[in-house]
Amino acid sequence: MAKVIEELKYTEDHEWVSVENDIATIGITDFAQSSLGDIVFVELPEEGDELAASSSFGVVESIKSVSDLNSPITGIVTEKNTTAEDTPEALNEDAFSAWLIKIKISDPAELDNLMDSKAYAEYCEASS
Amino acid sequence: MSLKTSLFEEHVSLGAKIVEFADWQMPIQYKNLKEEVIAVRDSVGVFDVSHMGEFFIEGKQALDFVDHLVTNDIKNAEISKAIYSPLCREDGTIIDDLIVYKISNEKLMICVNASNIKKDFDWMNSHLSSFDCTLINRSDDFSLLAIQGPKTFETLSQLDLNFQIEDNDYYSIQIGSDDKTPILLARTGYTGEDGFEVFGPHEFIKALWKQLMDAGVKPCGLGARDVLRLEVGYPLYGNELDETVTPLDTGLKWTVKMSKPSFIGKQALQDYQAKTQSIKLILDKGIPREGYVIENSQAQEIGTITSGTMSVCLKKGIAFARVDKNLYGPEEEIIVNIRGKKYSATRTKKPFVAGGHK
Repeated sequence: MAKVIEELKYTEDHEWVSVENDIATIGITDFAQSSLGDIVFVELPEEGDELAASSSFGVVESIKSVSDLNSPITGIVTEKNTTAEDTPEALNEDAFSAWLIKIKISDPAELDNLMDSKAYAEYCEASS
Repeated sequence: MSLKTSLFEEHVSLGAKIVEFADWQMPIQYKNLKEEVIAVRDSVGVFDVSHMGEFFIEGKQALDFVDHLVTNDIKNAEISKAIYSPLCREDGTIIDDLIVYKISNEKLMICVNASNIKKDFDWMNSHLSSFDCTLINRSDDFSLLAIQGPKTFETLSQLDLNFQIEDNDYYSIQIGSDDKTPILLARTGYTGEDGFEVFGPHEFIKALWKQLMDAGVKPCGLGARDVLRLEVGYPLYGNELDETVTPLDTGLKWTVKMSKPSFIGKQALQDYQAKTQSIKLILDKGIPREGYVIENSQAQEIGTITSGTMSVCLKKGIAFARVDKNLYGPEEEIIVNIRGKKYSATRTKKPFVAGGHK
């Protein structure tokens, strides 16, 4: 059973979002890392890049697969986690600590489209 | 259409991730792909490759027929040898790559890729009439396990098999039983390691699988198999090899025996000037994948990646690329375009990983 953290918000693509003031921190969920298997490569956008909701902002790769990372919301990248790029295995070890990017939120109303932990846990249950 | 091997339920109960491959529901990986690759390099693993096809050619001219069909030399090979060869059209393009098992001069088995069973059979059958022999597709009668890794022989020797297993040479075969659907053990594989491929009736293979599981042999999926074959530089039909290229474009010149008096494709291959070249690339950073574009230092497109992966053993990106011979100079710097970013690649002529087979 994949781990889900209560206070976070979630996407159908298995990203998690944590909001503090106007900054959203984004990562991939425990369910995602477990489905991918050994993560061996992470590619992230640069600071200042503008992201639209649902657009691809990078990739995570396992030995045999490439998966797009999709931005849950619209905003501007304020920071990327270079540790995740340098040591991709950190995502397998603890997907909720190994955040990927921070975004300055453009439209807080978009956060309402995301799932809460209960809905996400049910969503995972249904897709496994 | 969706076909299942005789071991399908076993794979499901082991928690395998199943994917459709050439109409077959096959295990791509069990628990962990990396551990499966390492098991084969360091110890022993088993693959269910029952989807592959088995043809039997029997009769007075069986040997002549097979020798006429393929580019490699079957006629002069010793009895009990396994011989890898492309199967080509008259124009030299590759229909499939396969292994011929020379059971005797009047009985040969050919193992072909699952995706090409019908195509190969129809092609072979269309050339059969002038030879005094039969060609039968017996793919449905056989299951096939590839048991691979340095501990394969030791592991198989300890099983209860009803026959004695011989420590024979690489690329040679032994007969386990000579029933209507025989048991055939070939010292072959697609991993670069020592190992056996065991062809047999479904019930025998199911019992063998159970014994292997009880002995702690790691079940391995097609994902690990693909990483293993790429690491030792073996081409795959559908990726490096296809109907648009000849053996001379793809590093298989060694399998084309011009000394044979005749074979299908000989004339075309005799005069053929290769247009493309298959090269092996290694990247310090970035993972090359099938379809990515290769450029030279002037940002000119010179080819594409045909297979790529992260190497488990090297922890680096490795790939086969098909490059245009006219655009690619051997000393040239090679760039792989990965999602618009340029990653530098180095060409290697040796296998990425040296397999441990005999």
